[in-house]
Amino acid sequence: MNKFDNQATEALLERKLITENQYQEITVYRSLNIFSLNAELKFFLYLSVLLFTSGIGVLIYNNIDTIGHIAILSILLIVIGVCFYFCFKNSKGFQKSEVKFEHPVLEYLVLAASILTCIFIGYLQFQYKPFGTHYGLATLIPTLVSFFCAYYFDNKSVLTIAITGLAAYVGLSVTPQDLLNNNNFYSDQSLSYSAIMLGVLLVLWTIYSSRIQLKTHFNLIFLTFALHIISIASISNLINDYYGIWLIFAFILAGSSYYFYKVSHDLKAISLYVFMIVYAYIGFNIFLFRVFEHIDLADIWMLLVISLPAYFIGSIILFIKLIKTFNKQIAA
Amino acid sequence: MIVYDKRLLDNLVLVEEAKSLESAGFISKEQKDLIKKELPAFKRQSNILVRLGFFLLGAFLYLSICGVISLFGLSGESLFFDICCYIFAIAGFAGAEFLAHQNYYEHGLDDAFILGAILNVGFAIAITTEGYELIIAIFVALASFVLYRRYLHLLSLVIFCLAASAVLFYGLFEFGSIGKAILPFVAMLVSAGFYFFTKKIISNLKDSYYYKGLLIANSFCLILFYLSCNYLVVRELSAMLLGIEILPGKDIPFAIFFHAFTLVVPILYLVQAIKTKDRIMLWISFLAIGFSIYTIRFYYSVLPIEVALTIGGLVLFAIAYFSIKKLKDKETGLTFKPDRINNSNALLNAEALIVASTFGLKPEVKTESPMDFGGGGFSGGGSEGSF
Repeated sequence: MNKFDNQATEALLERKLITENQYQEITVYRSLNIFSLNAELKFFLYLSVLLFTSGIGVLIYNNIDTIGHIAILSILLIVIGVCFYFCFKNSKGFQKSEVKFEHPVLEYLVLAASILTCIFIGYLQFQYKPFGTHYGLATLIPTLVSFFCAYYFDNKSVLTIAITGLAAYVGLSVTPQDLLNNNNFYSDQSLSYSAIMLGVLLVLWTIYSSRIQLKTHFNLIFLTFALHIISIASISNLINDYYGIWLIFAFILAGSSYYFYKVSHDLKAISLYVFMIVYAYIGFNIFLFRVFEHIDLADIWMLLVISLPAYFIGSIILFIKLIKTFNKQIAA
Repeated sequence: MIVYDKRLLDNLVLVEEAKSLESAGFISKEQKDLIKKELPAFKRQSNILVRLGFFLLGAFLYLSICGVISLFGLSGESLFFDICCYIFAIAGFAGAEFLAHQNYYEHGLDDAFILGAILNVGFAIAITTEGYELIIAIFVALASFVLYRRYLHLLSLVIFCLAASAVLFYGLFEFGSIGKAILPFVAMLVSAGFYFFTKKIISNLKDSYYYKGLLIANSFCLILFYLSCNYLVVRELSAMLLGIEILPGKDIPFAIFFHAFTLVVPILYLVQAIKTKDRIMLWISFLAIGFSIYTIRFYYSVLPIEVALTIGGLVLFAIAYFSIKKLKDKETGLTFKPDRINNSNALLNAEALIVASTFGLKPEVKTESPMDFGGGGFSGGGSEGSF
């Protein structure tokens, strides 16, 4: 317990910013001396699920030819079955709004069950090829299972797996490392189009689901994915040399920035807002660079260096204003 | 020494307190807004993402200013290369001072200038002394400490702690191989000494301004204490510094002491943390336990990694499950019920949560991905990706 917290509360009381009653209430609560391990223990549960599933994954991968396949499959199936049994037994059934399990452990059981299902189907496909060469199908089915679990049990972690699965079906890897390395889009032009299509699809889904009030708290996750996918795809195409194609992507980026500007206000989500600004700023700078590309810079580079600080000061002032108005508008 | 208006610093504490009371449900939102309006405040970004963004912008601005300075300097002589970093450092100090007078505090912009100044002090001394580590460390420590005292900049304090330990290490290196040999013990004793020293200061502290900084220094001592005599660290460092080759069947001197230290200290931390309800120490103890397990596995790997992961997951699950079961219905003291007041002494925890909720998706996807795609050379996803 920090003695300065009590001091601060007292100071608030002295300045008549809180009432005597409230002060009493707070001191009584503080004297309970609560030391909550809530976050820590939940984090441990999360960590244990991740350790266990990645352990199992590697185990299967390494021993794919040695242990009996049937044995592995049946053990996996049993574990999955047990997990799902407990989840279904304790769930309140599907609801459109946000629901929480009474026992926090179950949330992590859902996560474990869906990851294991993905592993199970992957293993099945590798060993027996039930889907033949329809690799897309082998991705789609774990994705569908994950979507089902995410919506039925109301689990955000599973939802992110489902979205990555959906992107993989399209041919994209949207894990953050890959998005940052962004080698997706250099190799394949058409991939950028499908990435943008996927982003638009996610946005449309959020519009639809908020219209029918279906798990509206999932919207932020969908939109975050959409923002990053669309923005990174268009920014990496801004440097494309193929005729005027980069102009199209400049328009796409501008449009998506405008949309996310609006939607971040609606959702009061500062993370969307900040990333939107960052992407728009990067895009704008690349745009400027491409416009100036044809001018011979050799003569004016001194002027350019000198004007850079002014440019940055200008952008800082602009961003401070943007953040301020955003904070004001979501507070209102 | 503090450049900021003390009244504003006090107000900041009050507003933070009001915020945590509001999230705990003790006061209403209107009341919090009223408090916020009543008290004049710093220009400050509490959201870590926004602050990071402004930090980047500030860094660009600082770099571009340095660019302009070099533009004028380059037309001069080669002398410029010797002193350019000093000039850059002065520019950093000037920028930080200017921003502080404009009441920027924990905003991101000020971070860029303060950190840039420290970095350039290091470079400048490195150029002048031609890379003499001890002197560099001393000057960086001095600069960062002054900046911390003046701007209450917590990151500078972290740098100060690192630089101060570097001074200790490089100072011992001056004594040749004897210094290197006694390094772990000296580091252990010094960190223990400073731990109790900072603890004493905290308990006698009257003003809250330096509280957070002292807390950081205190935690840093705990970490240094554990690492100083950890078996893995000692063994690898002695191989590196003294060039000792450890033959099979042999071990480093005092091996038993280091082994015991590696095992006992994390548990000591854990017990002490739960006893004194110290959340930061609790997290340090978790990390220390993890690192101890890694240390043991590094030299005596009994199980293959995947089996260890699987069993570790199961054990961890069991520990968490039974702890939850035990703590679930307790109302006071140690409990599983979330604390209503998420106040600043849970700073580490709260900030980790904020990062997790603003970045939310990333760590989750990242950790899942190895089996969905990466490890999934065998899963459908992997094959699709290669098409």
